[in-house]
Amino acid sequence: MSMSEELVKAIVELDEGKAVELARKRLEVEDPLNILNDLTKAANIIGEKYEKGEFFIADLVMAGEILKAVSDMAREKLKALGKRREVIGRFVIGTVEGDIHDIGKNIVITMAEAAGFEVIDLGVDVPPQKFVDAIKQYNPDIVGMSGLLTLAIDSMKKTVDAIKEAGLRDKVKIIIGGGRVDKYACEYVGADAWTNSAAEGVKIMLKWIEDKKMR
Amino acid sequence: MAMEPIDEWIKRHEKEPEEVAKEKLNRFLKAVELKVPDRVPIAGAAGDFLCSYTGITWYELSYSLTDKVENAVLKFVHDFPSDWPILLVPMMLEGFALALAFAEFPDFSNIIRFLTGPLHDVLKDKWSKWPGRELRDNMHPQFLGGEFMKPEEYKQLIDNPVEFMNQVILPRVCEGLGKPGSSKWNGAWIRAGIAMQKVIAFQINLFTAIAKAGYPIIPLGTNAYAPADVIGDFLRHPTGAMLDIRRYPDNFKAACEALVDPILKVATAVPPTPPVPLFFIPLHLNEMLPPKLYNEFYWPYLKRIIETLVSKGYKGFVIFEGDHSPHVDTLLELPKGWGIGWFERPKDFIKIWEKLKGHTIVMGGVPTTLLASGTPQQIDEYVKNLLNKIKPEGGFIISPSIGELPAGTPPENVRAYINAALKYGTY
Repeated sequence: MSMSEELVKAIVELDEGKAVELARKRLEVEDPLNILNDLTKAANIIGEKYEKGEFFIADLVMAGEILKAVSDMAREKLKALGKRREVIGRFVIGTVEGDIHDIGKNIVITMAEAAGFEVIDLGVDVPPQKFVDAIKQYNPDIVGMSGLLTLAIDSMKKTVDAIKEAGLRDKVKIIIGGGRVDKYACEYVGADAWTNSAAEGVKIMLKWIEDKKMR
Repeated sequence: MAMEPIDEWIKRHEKEPEEVAKEKLNRFLKAVELKVPDRVPIAGAAGDFLCSYTGITWYELSYSLTDKVENAVLKFVHDFPSDWPILLVPMMLEGFALALAFAEFPDFSNIIRFLTGPLHDVLKDKWSKWPGRELRDNMHPQFLGGEFMKPEEYKQLIDNPVEFMNQVILPRVCEGLGKPGSSKWNGAWIRAGIAMQKVIAFQINLFTAIAKAGYPIIPLGTNAYAPADVIGDFLRHPTGAMLDIRRYPDNFKAACEALVDPILKVATAVPPTPPVPLFFIPLHLNEMLPPKLYNEFYWPYLKRIIETLVSKGYKGFVIFEGDHSPHVDTLLELPKGWGIGWFERPKDFIKIWEKLKGHTIVMGGVPTTLLASGTPQQIDEYVKNLLNKIKPEGGFIISPSIGELPAGTPPENVRAYINAALKYGTY
């Protein structure tokens, strides 16, 4: 097994100690970009495992911790070398107006960053106009709306409507996520996709970026 | 326009409320005994929709113990009748840690199981945020929990969970309390008692008025909790709890074990009360755990709590939040007829029903998102289809997937849900 495969395996098996140790050793000799690319691979496999029902939220939380720990180490090294990682896409995310829960949003951010996205976090209780302004300012590929409460569904709809009114709907893909969203909510809101899981969400986002490149 | 079944039912509530209440109670009792009632009992839902429909704010629903709120609730249960309206008025959030902190006092431990706005004002707890306080008036009260215990403190929790809650956690979480035993602490508890008296007096009035409008009084009875959720909700934050299970498995298990007795002490502080001696447990970490962890760290302790309470004559009312499908087989380990399982969002509701029928009273089936986003025709069709599959057996309560509907839910959709259940629900 190559060093790269070994690291991906340790992450996917949620072996925190081993993953961090392997990454630390490799960073002494290797290009940090290799490590970051392995994180993208691991995030992808984790997404697949969630989709198949092999992984649960508790697994994603643990995976998120490991991804973050390794990513922080690799990025620090990268910065020291004066290098930058090419981002695969830009992603704006926030918990929608009226809702201040952020567990889900934070897992998504960790996983999206590990997958190579540049993430702009708008925080919690984000009004529709702030999403619109962020799209204008950052020109993201994807907008993510998070929420736990049932009221979040209404806020997501209002936010999508505001994005439409501003004439920006065609510029971004929109994904909604949270404990209460489902296919009915997705249709109602007018989003492009929905998910109950960060891992699945990041997988959908990676596919969108692939599709965009093909065009 | 022709009278629809819901309109006829509303008329009957107005004309013969006592009769209607009796029918509802019988219907409910039959279902809870796993028998076939005259019709599938219909559970109600409120939440944001109660506020938007009646024009009251979340601030009012949380704090204003007035006629205005009472009238709004009465209008709501009049216009959207149900067999079992599940109403949190004034609004309540999780507060089981408070009950645990006073587990040695059976005369009131169970009464402070929920946080209300007035209690939050006294305690100034960091677990929750409320409209008109930390949040805008029209925002839903929100329970956030947080990390209030360090992993190194598991030993203290395990040694004496009640004392740890009372002496270490409460002062940390509740800025309004000050140091245990200080005059601030003593004064705050007196004020908490006064605040709770007011809330209870309001609730007694309100539920008496609702009863007069054709509703049997089916109180939530007593309260229990899953030990792992005490850790996740009140002590370590759900994220912390999920990491602890992997990083400190032995401590986590020992803490769950230590919490079983105090939880049972709180739950049994209220004797089984007729007409249905319910004990209420909302589950939170359940769907987040893979079966391997669920079966080792969550279920054994929850199972002991449910089994003990059932053996003492109580019946469960457990909300299985999220998708409980991966763990549903474990419920069959409980005695037949142990209680009501409200399933929020299982991947396939019918599968849950097929597994549990004749054993667990199953509640749920109608996605709140469908009620918010569908058309009355779609809802009618959906309920018809659902009841076709489920109806031959008893032991089913039809309900929105969770007790809260979004503010934008069209009133005609809620009517369509009730109408369809009335039309297709008779046995």
